[in-house]
Parts: sequence; structure tokens; C-alpha cells
Amino acid sequence: MVTAQTFVGLLPEIVAFLFSMLVLMVGVFNPRAIGLTTGLAAFGALATFVVTVVLLAVRFEGSFFGDGYVVDDFALYFKLIVALSAFFTVLAAARWSGETGDAPEYLTLILSVAVGAMLLVSMRDLFGVFVAIELATIPSYALVAFDRSRRESAEGGMKYLLTGMIAASILLYGIVLIYGAAGSANFAQISLAFTGDLASSPVALLGLVLLVSGFAFKVSAAPFHFWTPDAYQGAPTSAAAFLSVAPKAATFAVLLRIFLEGMPEAAPSWTAVAAVLAIVTMFVGNLFALRQRNVRRMLAYSSVAHSGYILAAFAALQGAGVERGVQAVLIYSAAYAVMNLGAFFVIDLVGEEAKSYNGLFRTRPGVALSMAIFMAALVGIPPLSGFWGKLWVILAGVESGSVLVYVTVGVLVVNSVLSVPYYFGILRNMAFEEPVKGAEEPKGAGALKFSVYTLALATTLFAFFVGPLAALAGASGLL
Amino acid sequence: MITTITIFFPLVGVFLMLLMRTADERTTRYTALGVAGVPLLLVLYVYFAHGGDLGNALLTQGFDWVPSLGIGYRVGLDGLGFGMFFLSALLTLIAVVASWDVRENLRQYYAILFVAELGMLGVFAAQDLILFYVFFEVTLIPMYLLVGIWGDENRRPAAIKFFIYTFFGSTVMLAGFLALGILSGPNFSIEELNGGSGLSRAAQIAVAAPILFGLLIKVPAVPFHSWLLDVYISSPISTNVVLSGILPKLGTYGLIKIAIPLLPQGAEPFLPYLAAFGVVNIIYGAFVAFMQPDLKALVAYSSIGTLGFILLGIASGNAVGINGAVMQQVTHGLYSALLFILVGVIASRAGTRRIGELGGLADRMPWAGGLLALGAFAAMGVPGLAVFISEFMTIMGGYDAFPVLGVLAAAGIVLGAMYLLNMLRRVIFGPTERPALVEAGDAGPVEMAAIVPLAALLVVLGIFPSLLTNVQRPAVDLVLAAVGGS
Repeated sequence: MVTAQTFVGLLPEIVAFLFSMLVLMVGVFNPRAIGLTTGLAAFGALATFVVTVVLLAVRFEGSFFGDGYVVDDFALYFKLIVALSAFFTVLAAARWSGETGDAPEYLTLILSVAVGAMLLVSMRDLFGVFVAIELATIPSYALVAFDRSRRESAEGGMKYLLTGMIAASILLYGIVLIYGAAGSANFAQISLAFTGDLASSPVALLGLVLLVSGFAFKVSAAPFHFWTPDAYQGAPTSAAAFLSVAPKAATFAVLLRIFLEGMPEAAPSWTAVAAVLAIVTMFVGNLFALRQRNVRRMLAYSSVAHSGYILAAFAALQGAGVERGVQAVLIYSAAYAVMNLGAFFVIDLVGEEAKSYNGLFRTRPGVALSMAIFMAALVGIPPLSGFWGKLWVILAGVESGSVLVYVTVGVLVVNSVLSVPYYFGILRNMAFEEPVKGAEEPKGAGALKFSVYTLALATTLFAFFVGPLAALAGASGLL
Repeated sequence: MITTITIFFPLVGVFLMLLMRTADERTTRYTALGVAGVPLLLVLYVYFAHGGDLGNALLTQGFDWVPSLGIGYRVGLDGLGFGMFFLSALLTLIAVVASWDVRENLRQYYAILFVAELGMLGVFAAQDLILFYVFFEVTLIPMYLLVGIWGDENRRPAAIKFFIYTFFGSTVMLAGFLALGILSGPNFSIEELNGGSGLSRAAQIAVAAPILFGLLIKVPAVPFHSWLLDVYISSPISTNVVLSGILPKLGTYGLIKIAIPLLPQGAEPFLPYLAAFGVVNIIYGAFVAFMQPDLKALVAYSSIGTLGFILLGIASGNAVGINGAVMQQVTHGLYSALLFILVGVIASRAGTRRIGELGGLADRMPWAGGLLALGAFAAMGVPGLAVFISEFMTIMGGYDAFPVLGVLAAAGIVLGAMYLLNMLRRVIFGPTERPALVEAGDAGPVEMAAIVPLAALLVVLGIFPSLLTNVQRPAVDLVLAAVGGS
């Protein structure tokens, strides 16, 4: 039954959706009013964020639509990440999208992805999950292909579309099989079908395998990551930044909910799968990133590697490591959002060739310092944000008490070291090389710079948020 | 509170340096000098006010950081770390004085140096495992930048090699810390974990292994030392002061402060190997130093060698040895900083660091030459200088625990005397054929200002070692109680 409660529960999505429509309409009537559309979109994202904060503060909880949609601390937390990422992305996209002349459409697409991602984290029904994932993905195809001035954009968009469609069908096939085995798509009902002994139910097992494969595509876990570098390299920078953070965090969040609510009995199976995926993903992401000279492509592979780190937290969701594992996914997602958004945004300020970072410390110290902070955070140097994410993953791994997870954590440690050369390659260029001639500060990048500096500050001071975040995660609805 | 202020005071310097865009070189140098002096004054105040009772951590400050995990911001000063806390402040000041070879981007140089100082001071005051690790790593990027930007032509590979090696070591160490903290609570307070906190012997061993491994890379113990030489040789003089004086001690201090007292039973089976690592360092360092044609490389290997005494003293597990090791951390920092500065001064005059091309310093640069002899005598462990006392104590302690290794370490002193005397014979005496050296004058007033305090401290501590040992003894007794009481 739809009551007033339902509307309150859906308020963040409603606000974001209304503003996305508003931005589009304003764009139709005032196509030249870039400041107005950007301002509206940014305000919409901020309003969404505030509404979510209020819901979190009053501890709003409820489940709607026949238990298919749930609002709890866990979901709200991820909605915060999505809304805040959308806010910074809109600001960062202001200048570029203004130049294309299609700012309203671009900003609307970003808000649409945000709506899909926010719906996704609340889903408690596999079909709802599918719909929400596609709601977030279909606008993102358009986002990737949005840059008509570059051929790579169309190419990346096409690759993303094709692989994304395949992934969607695999995911849907998995969902249908699980539905067939369990007789329901609701997580609570599914958990009755997923007992410890999966071998006796080949349909459920096959469903699980396909479901995980579909999700692996979505979070770009190896070996399902091939679309990632092309799509991110082709996409406009702000779109790549947003897609690598917000929908991905939401996908991880709902995967966590599926596993913990829908198939807790089958934990030995899916933690083992997660461990193997994590190990492969970390190595693939880092080893390929080492070879990149293009910063955008390097960050794309880096995002693959970071998916691996988060998957390592999934592997730890067993034994005494469950609570810490959930915390790890939460904290890592937030930590990754601030540092990775920032790192991508700097590309729009400086350039995507590694060469263009030469001597940046001398020519533009503020931008250089911010980029240095993002790079060091991505490596996991304390006290920056990435360190706390990795710390929590390792903590969860230690607590889980499983040998396979110990190995996974060991691989994570090795990979952190492995990632030093490519992140520090940027740092080296900025600090040690001679500046390139003719590199100029882009004009009208005030909002973009605001985003970069704010994110750099958040990355640096993340240590102060860790305590509250851990407490919030501990109290989340999942546990 | 005074501890926190001392640790974070260098941040004032960072901001000043970033803000003083228009300041000329002279103003910049004096400002940096002033900023670097403040932590030292604060440390000296603590020494005279509380120097006698630094057993358990004093002047502590603590608040919860992540309550559910028992992670907190806990700092305080105790006798184990105080000597190094003092030395970090002192050597940063000396490094500022000795930064005459840094000509470009001076403000940035000092800003980065101050970030490094923050990390170093923090490590020696941290009373929480996670905080210890955070400060430990805060030193890393500044050192990477200092060497990578202001070093010599081979600086970049050296800097990244240094970074990767030590980052790997410390990450492994962190895994050990996390296991220790989780298994005992979770609780990451160093003070509360003293004595092993009821972990079984097997668990302690499993946790101690990664911690010891990570710390040995940092020291570095000999098979893991290859990062050290490149980075020592490539870095500018004033970075050398900090790099050789403080950074290896992050590793040895971690052994004394964390590995031994927190995991007494876990570390125990590794102690003979630790002692063996120490003796290998001593002997290997001496032999390789003997063959170095480059004065700076000789000093670097000599530094690796004398670090071995610290390992031996720690591994002895008795009062004399550990006291010696804690003291050797400071004395090693003093003499290696002194020698690196002198090498820089001599090289700037002679235009070369090759021992074969130097000579006759006693004539041309009597002060620099004489102080080089003093530093070399200190490194040899000549009585009357501070290193003698600490080295002698580590050998005594080491001999008690591992007689054979103790004898070998004593033999290492003879080897050390051999290559150092040989170096002095060739560099200080003998004719000089270098025209550059004939023209060059002796060390100037600024250079002497960096050199003399170090030399003076080596002499003073050689005559009155109790100035240092009295401070550290109560804390060392607590370590021994933790080890014995388990």
C-alpha cells in the first residue's frame, strides 16, 4: 500500500528526479543559460543530499512495495555517497558541458544515473535490482558517448553499450534461474532456497554463477573488465569520474545486500568466488595500469584494481569478519569516492597525457598538491582516505579467520606496493620534470577547481570521518 | 598537550614556507631556522623538567579515534623514544643549517622537510599502533620528494626504489599490527598491550614474524639494504642528515618499542636470528666499506655496519644490551650526520668524493679534516666518545646472550678501525695534488655551525653518558619487566 511513508522513503529519489526534469525543461527554454542549469543541477544534487541526511538523522526506516524496497541506514549511507558524487560531478562538468552547448542534457543524464543508483541500493527484490541497474546504466551509455568532438567517445560508448547489454542479459538470466529455484525474487524468500548445500540445487548454483558474472561486469571485475578502459578513456572526464564512483558503489552495496540477506547460508560459496575474483581483479588492474601513459586510461585500470580491493572485503564476509567486512565496503566506497572523483577531475584541469603533468608543482602548485594527495591516497598512504579503506579490508580479512582470505589480504598488500610506480609516475612528473611550455590555466574553471580542492581536503581529513562512519556502518540495517 | 604541540609545530613551518612567496633567500633560511628551533626548545624543556622519570609515557594525551576498534590518538613521551624524539628535533635544525647546497625551490625544500619532521617526532611519541604506523608513513613521501627533487643525477631511481622497498616493508608490518590489535581486543594501545596481553605463544609468533620482517627492511638489515645505499649517495647533504640519522631508527625503535615488549614470546624465537642479522650487518658493512672508492659510500656502509650493533643489543634481551641499543640509536645518528655533513663540505671544496683523489686535508682544511677524524674515531668506537659506550654495552649484552656473536661483533670493531683508519690516512694525510683543494678554504662559519653541535654532543655524551642513560633506564626496565614477566 502506498502511504505518505512511502513518499518520505522515496524522497531522495523524487527530489533528484524532479530536478533532473527541471534542468531539462529549463534547458529547452533557455539553452544558453549554462549558469542557471548548472546551478539547478548542483542545487538538486545538494538538496538530495540534505534530504538523505535528514532521513538518516531522524533514523527513518521502512520497507515498501511488498518488502521489495527498503530504506535503512545502509541504503541511506550509499545514497549520500551517490548524491554527493553527483553534486561534485555537476560542478566539475559545468565548464566542459557548457562548451558542448548541450549542458542541460548532460546534467540531466548525470542526475538520472544518480536516481537509478539511489533506487538500486534500496532494492530487496531481484527484478527491482535489475530495473534499477538498467535505470542507472542506460543513461550512462549516453554519457560515455556524449563527447562528439572525439572519436574515442563514440567508440567507448559503443563498446560499453554492447558489453553492457550482454552483461544485462547474463544478469537477467541468473535472476530468472534464482527466481525459478526459490519461487520468489524477494531476498527474504530466496534465502530459504539457498541452503548451505548448493550442489544439490544446480539451478540455484547456475543462477548464482550468472548473477555474480553479471555483477562482475557492472563493477568491472576481471575478467569481465574489458569495457572499462575504453569506456572511461572515451567518456567525458566528469562522466568517467562519476561512473567509476557512484553507480559502482551502489552496485557493490546491492550485491552486499543480496549476499547477506538473500543467501547467508551459501556464504562459503560466494566468499570463495569473491576471493578469487578479488585476487584476479587486483592483479589485472594494477599490472595493466603500470603500462599506461594516458592518465585517463591509467585511472580506468586503477578503478579495476580498486574494485578488486572492495571484492576482498566481500571475501571477508564470513566468520567473525562479517561486521567489519560490511564496514569495509561502506568506508572504502566513501574513501574511494573522494579520492577518485578528485583524481579524474584534475584531468580536466591539466590534461590526459602524462607529459602534461610535468613540472606542475612549479607552475600550478595548488592543483599539483591536490593531485599528489589523490595519488598518494589511491596508493593507500596514511592518513589519507584510501588508507582507511584498505585498513578496514585488511581488518575484516584478519577477523574472518579463513586461509583463503588471508591469501587475498596478502595479495592486497602486494598489490598496494605494485601500484606505487604508476601513481607515483604522476607525482614524479609533477615534482621532478621541467614544466611544459605553453600549458595554461583553463579559463572559467572555478567550479571545477572548487570541486578538486574540496575533494582534496576531504581526502586529507578523512581520518576524522572514519570513527563516525564506522559507527554508522555498525548500526546499519544489514547487521 | 606539550607533546602534541611539539609534534605538530612543524606544520607552522609548512604554512609559513608556503605563504612566504616573496621572501628572499636569507629571510627564508632564518625563518626555517626559527621554526626548526622551537620543537628542540620544547624537547629540552621536557628534558630538564621531567628527564628523570620517563618510565611509563609522560605528558600523554589521548582521545578515541575509532572507539569500536580501540584505535586512539595517543601520544606521550617515554625514555625509549625520548632520545630519538630529541634527535629528530635536533637533526631537523641541523638539516636546515646544512642546507647550503639546496639553492632552488628553497621554500618547498623546507616545507617538505618539516612534514618529514612531523612524521619523525610523531613516531617516537606515538602510543598507539595505528598512530605509530600513520606517522611512520608520513615520513615516506617527504623523503621521496627530498631525494627525488634535490638529489644528484641518479636521484629518481634511487628515490622510487627507496619508496617501494620501505612501503612494502611497512605494509607488511601494518598487517602484523592489525593482527596483533584484533587478536587482543580489538585494542591498539601500546601501553595496554605491553607484555603480550594474553596471546598464546603460537599467535605471538605468527604476529611477530611480519612485524619483524617489515622493521628489518626499514633498518635495513643486510639482505634488504640495497635501497639504502643509492638513496644515501644521491641525496643532498641536509637530507642525508635526517635520512641516516633518523630513518633507520624508525625500524630499530619499532623493534624495541613494539616487537619485543608487546610480543615477548613471539619475538623470543627470532632473537638469535636478529642478533645474527646484526653481526652480519657489522661484518658485511665493514668489508664493503673497506672497498669503497667513494667517501660518501664508505660512510653509508659504515652506517649500515654500526646499525648492526643496535640489532645485537636489542636481541640480547638483557638490561645492558637494550640500554646500549637505545643509546646507540642516538649516538649513531650523531656521528653519521656529522660524517655526512663533513663529506659534503670536503666534496664541495675538492670537487670530488673519491678517496684516491683526496689528500692532505690536515694542511688544507684543518678544521674539517680534524673533525672528520673525530667523526671517524667516534664511528670506530674510540673510548671517550659517545659511540664507544653504546657499542660496548651492546657487545657486552650480546656476548651474555650469544657468546659467539658477541665475539664476532667485537671483531667487527677491529674491522671498522681498519677501514676508517685507512680512509683517514689517505684523506687527511698524504700530499694533495688536487688544485681545487689547494685553493679551497676551510669549513666556513655556517658549516661549522652545523658540524660543531654534533661533534660536541659526541664528546659530552662520551664523558657523561648518564645524561642519556638516566633518561632511558626506567623505560628499559619496563621493557625488561614485560619480557621477563611473560
